[in-house]
Formats: sequence, C-alpha cells, structure tokens
Amino acid sequence: MSAYILPVLFIALFCYAKYKKVNCYDSFIKGAKKSIPLVVEIFPYIASIMIAVALLRASGITALLAHLLSPIFSALGIPTELIELVLLRPFTGSGSFALLNDVLTTYGADSYISRCACVILGCSETIFYVTTVYISQTKVKKLLYAIPIALICSLVGSIIACLLCKII
Amino acid sequence: MNRIWFIMIVGSLCFLIWTDPAIVLNSMVDAAGEAFKLSLELCAVYAVWLGILEIVDASGLSDKLAKLLRPIIKKLFKIDDKEPEKMIALNMSANMLGLGNAATPMGIKAMKRLDDGSGVATPAMIMLIVINSTSIQLLPTTVIGLRASAGSLTPSDIILPTLLATICTFTLGICLVKLCHKIFRRKKK
Repeated sequence: MSAYILPVLFIALFCYAKYKKVNCYDSFIKGAKKSIPLVVEIFPYIASIMIAVALLRASGITALLAHLLSPIFSALGIPTELIELVLLRPFTGSGSFALLNDVLTTYGADSYISRCACVILGCSETIFYVTTVYISQTKVKKLLYAIPIALICSLVGSIIACLLCKII
Repeated sequence: MNRIWFIMIVGSLCFLIWTDPAIVLNSMVDAAGEAFKLSLELCAVYAVWLGILEIVDASGLSDKLAKLLRPIIKKLFKIDDKEPEKMIALNMSANMLGLGNAATPMGIKAMKRLDDGSGVATPAMIMLIVINSTSIQLLPTTVIGLRASAGSLTPSDIILPTLLATICTFTLGICLVKLCHKIFRRKKK
C-alpha cells in the first residue's frame, strides 16, 4: 500500500505543474544543480561526527556505558539488549539501522525486543547529525537548550515505545 | 557542538591508548570513507528531491502548503517571514512521510533564513531542531522494510505504536522548548 504513495504524489505533482504551465524539466535541472554544492558544504560535518562515533565504538566506551547504565535502563522499562541502540541512535543513522538488523536476526523479527527496537528507531532521530547538518550553513555557535531537550524527548520516546509494545 | 565533539574524541582516544592504539588512525580514516560514501548517496537523494522541490515551488504548491500549515507554524515558531515558513512547511511534510533525507535540504534553507547572525540560536531555530528530532512519522518506511526482510509475519503492526510514541515526543518537545524559552527569557531580565 505505502509503495503507491510516492509515485501517485509525483504524478499528481507533474500534472499539476504542467497545468500551471511550469517547465518541469528546466525546474528540475535548476533544483538538482544545487545538490552538489550542498553536499560539498555538509561533508566535513558528516565526516567529523562519523569519526567521533567510530572512535567511540572502537574504544569500547559505548559497551562500557551500556553495562554501567543497565540498572537505570531496566528500571525505566527498556530491555538491556537495546541499550546500545538507544545510546547510539542520536549519533548515527546507518549505525543504528545496522544494530536494528542485528537485533532482528538475533531475537526474531516478531519478538518483543525486536518490536521495541523498531518503534524506538521509528520515533527517534539522529539528533547530533541532524543538528550539525542543519546549522552548518549558519553562524550559530550556541544552541542553548536545543540538544538537551531533543535528547530528553528521545529517551522518553524510547520508554514509551517499550511500554506501548507491551500493551499493543 | 565544539564541547561535545572534543569530549567524544579525547575520551575515546584516552581509552584506546590503553586498549588498542593501533586501530586509531584506521578507524578514523574508515569513518571518513563511510562519510564520503554517505555523502555520495545523499548527493543522489538531494538531486532528486531538490529537483522535485523546485517543481513544487514553481507550480505554487509550496505556497499553498505553507498557507495550510501557517496557523500551526505561526504558533510554534512565532515568525512572520514567508520564505522560511514555506521551507518549514515542506520540511515538516517530508518528515511526516518518513523522508528524513528529503527534509534536510529544506531544513537547511529554513535555518539559513532564521539565523540572525548573532551566533546564538534563535527560539525559532531551536524549535526547528527539536521538531526535526522528534518529528511525527506517519509511515516509518525504512523500519518496516527491514522488518519485512527479516521475516516478520506482520511487519506493519509497529505503525500504530510508532505513531503514538512520536506524537508523545513531539508534544513533549514543543512544550519543553516553550517552557525553556520562558525560563531563559526571565533569567535574562
């Protein structure tokens, strides 16, 4: 079902644009041209955060943190198997999807743990990544309370996710 | 960001000196390579979406969408500038469809317009960051895909809990931003 949404939207868009006498081809070229400068601009930001995450994982700090934090997480109702996922999610999208895949294959796609992991990923975002990329073109140095709030929401989201998976 | 990055790097390096100093450079270069690969992929994604976006813009649809979402955006961001309003409307719509990567270029554009050059994030910018970090997802397409390929019998039964959880975090995020904004303003006085 969901596979039809985008093609249908695109068809509607192109027909509407034609009706409004827009030159689709010219417009598309104009927009697509901006993609390379944009990527060149944000590449260093992506690289810096991925290097930091790689070192963090290679050093074993995340595993140690997961171990240390397990009493707190289990008190909050988050299965201990998912702590690394919750910890890494704010930093890396591809990394957390790789972790999700591990969880799915280890515990079975329809198990409680897997469903929790899916909902946690679905309701959270790669906060640090999004933030660095979004502000990369501005002069902002001080973000005030933006990141703490985003992190709190992400943690609360994980707790709610595990709770909901138990009920539904 | 400066402080967080410094702590992450120095902390891990101190650890690695103990455990495995040989892999430091390798894993850094590997990560940069991964970032390059990701950037190439993003370049492709952005080319498609920025092209589509230009058509959306040229046909006047983005103005219509912005008009539709204006009451919400005005309430949340407290801004009165058409260009970022349009970008935010598109950014939020793309996020709802689970198209995070398509939302990014519009988010960057909106941020650029919201920046006042003072070096400190404006309340509207903070709101945009938090909304993008907690965004409501109607269809978590990637997760459903992964689940289906892992052999799930009912891959789409996570839609409802995901939707409920994102609604909760979204509301919580907005409330916290508004609250912190109030506290912060009082402190300044």
